[in-house]
Amino acid sequence: MTLNDIKVGDTVCLDDFSHNQSVYFKLISLGLLPGDQVIVMGRAPFGGPISIKHGSETFFALRRSEALKVQVKTSTKAL
Amino acid sequence: MLQQTAATLLLIGFPNAGKSTFFNLLTGGNRKVSNYSGVTVDMGRADIKSDSDGGIKLKLVDLPGIYNLVPASLDEGVTVKALLNLEGKDGAQKVLMLLDWQRIEASMSLALAVKDIVGSDNIAIVINKDDSAEIDPARRSELEKKLGCRVLPLSALNASPKTVEAFIRGLDLSSQVEPVKKLQITKEALEFLPAGDHSARLAVIDDTKSITDLINWYHQKARDVLGSLSRPNDEKSRLTQKIDRIVLNPWLGGIIFAAIFYFIFDAIYSWAGPAMDLAEGVVVGMGDFVGNYLPEGHFKSLIVDGIFGGVGGVVVFLPQIMALFFLLSLLEQSGYVARAAVVTDRIMGVFGLNGKAFLPYMSGFACAIPGIMATRTIPNPRERYATLMTLPLITCSARLPVYILLIGTFVPATTVLGIFNAQTLSFFFLYFLGSIAALVIAKILRLSYFKGETGNFIIDLPLYQRPSVKTAFIQSWKKGKTFLTKAGTIILGLSILIWLLSTFPSANPELLEGKTPEQQAGISLEQSMLGTMGRTIEPVIKPIGMDWKIGVGMLVAFGARELFVSAMGTIYSLGDVDEESTPLRDKLMAETWSDTGAPVFTLATAWAILIFFVFSLQCTSTLAILRRETGGWKIPMIMFTYMGLLAYGGAYIAYNLLS
Repeated sequence: MTLNDIKVGDTVCLDDFSHNQSVYFKLISLGLLPGDQVIVMGRAPFGGPISIKHGSETFFALRRSEALKVQVKTSTKAL
Repeated sequence: MLQQTAATLLLIGFPNAGKSTFFNLLTGGNRKVSNYSGVTVDMGRADIKSDSDGGIKLKLVDLPGIYNLVPASLDEGVTVKALLNLEGKDGAQKVLMLLDWQRIEASMSLALAVKDIVGSDNIAIVINKDDSAEIDPARRSELEKKLGCRVLPLSALNASPKTVEAFIRGLDLSSQVEPVKKLQITKEALEFLPAGDHSARLAVIDDTKSITDLINWYHQKARDVLGSLSRPNDEKSRLTQKIDRIVLNPWLGGIIFAAIFYFIFDAIYSWAGPAMDLAEGVVVGMGDFVGNYLPEGHFKSLIVDGIFGGVGGVVVFLPQIMALFFLLSLLEQSGYVARAAVVTDRIMGVFGLNGKAFLPYMSGFACAIPGIMATRTIPNPRERYATLMTLPLITCSARLPVYILLIGTFVPATTVLGIFNAQTLSFFFLYFLGSIAALVIAKILRLSYFKGETGNFIIDLPLYQRPSVKTAFIQSWKKGKTFLTKAGTIILGLSILIWLLSTFPSANPELLEGKTPEQQAGISLEQSMLGTMGRTIEPVIKPIGMDWKIGVGMLVAFGARELFVSAMGTIYSLGDVDEESTPLRDKLMAETWSDTGAPVFTLATAWAILIFFVFSLQCTSTLAILRRETGGWKIPMIMFTYMGLLAYGGAYIAYNLLS
């Protein structure tokens, strides 16, 4: 399952995604680490970027082509 | 022993952590501040303003934001270069890490990484955006103990510079910052650092994974350090979520985006319009007043026609320029701009560009120069060049006077489709045409010369904040001042030159005999140096509906676009023999072809000029900055040529469609 498959409003855990070094490098630089929880906040139309919320305060947007490279698993603990 | 007289402090932190706001607070500087990442792309230095004498001089260096110490773009390279003092200049005495309380965990990881490289003795930490003073003294000392360095929590927007200065003076500033450990970077990161042998300070690692693992480790450690420290309250976060639900809504998002920009253009038109009429009245009145006291002759003509006609014609656009920068500043401070990059990303992707290219393009609406500089934030060099080479097609504020003059004079202010103003729509269309041309050309470049994959697009969306009207006023005032300075120097000088060229050599008196004053003025102009130049180029510009006078205006506008308006002002003032001065707009409407007597400025001619200005690269400063950023004349010359061809072709089509 990748981040691209997640519905708006759903919470997931980032899985290990270090196999794709360029996306991994960018995401961990922003502080998005494997194991962290994110909520999908929105999906822009016509295949535009996905916006996510990380932790309680930080918001990001990323392209679907990037989201496809991010493996996620269903969140085990509730936020 | 040599007495220490000055100390330099480097300001390092995440993008959009508030480094420039902090810098401005202490130095009284006017570095541009906004609420999105990547505003600062170069180094800024200034002395800290201080009332206390006796102390050593403090110098502050503002640097572009970085997420980690492995540079992934040119602007990040600037910061890493300064931190490691790779150019071996006078180093710094302290590194001030500016952390963002709203992103405390992530920004703390950078502080830990820097601390490992330069040692905890060489850094101090400032935690910005602690707007409601959540970091109390107990928490502060706990942090200081854990980190082994001084910590100052504040809100740079309303902190007192004195408190901050006292904090800085309380630090040990006697020793030079020297790396205590080699910085590990990837091979790719090397291209963003200056060439040369830096093996004493850098270790190039082939295994990218060990570097990413290290970054990951710093983030984990930052979370450990912060531990139970309470997070910022999430009131702002809830507000941000609410606003984003609307502005990033799949259907509303695009409409809101277009509405915001339509509103800005409309505001420039409708709000600043009356102010401009007033300014015009003042300039014309002053010209008449001064003219009354001057004896007839060349001197009076120089003052009234050359200076009031030329410079005055440009100065009246001050309200519009200031209105544009005021509104752009409010928009940028709010945090919306990063959302606009998200809304437009799909379109940017179609044209082979990174969503990040939106931000330099957005700066281009103010001026191409900061826009070109901002392309440094685009990591992929091919995308960067495709953006940079099309950036001057974005309608900058120097085109405003030309657009407003011609649209205001020749497009009727009728209402279209019930709610839209025809003048605002024309205005919007010109902005749209420039932007779409930039994207299409970028696509062509990306399919040919700068072929390659699109880099990744992951952008941080800042929390919304209430824009400061004061900051917006300062920005707008600063730009207004720059505009007036330009009018008082370059435009003044060139207006005088244009006046000289259009007055001398004087016409042969035999030619003037028995002619009306009006004809005499016309003949004098034609016989002048400028007239000769104009008639030489007339065959080239006649197909696009322009006479030689307009041609001369177009020619001088290659120096700077506003010069078109000032040149028109001077030329038509000389041809105008009425006692009373009239605004340039009326003079344009009264101008006729000498052979047929038909008006020179038809709707077709006006649009041909407008279209020419949309495409043409008429700005020597832009050419100079392009040379610097691309390291040669090749790229600027290619751009000058392709934009010139587009301009001429576009004007030809517009003229023939409308006439």
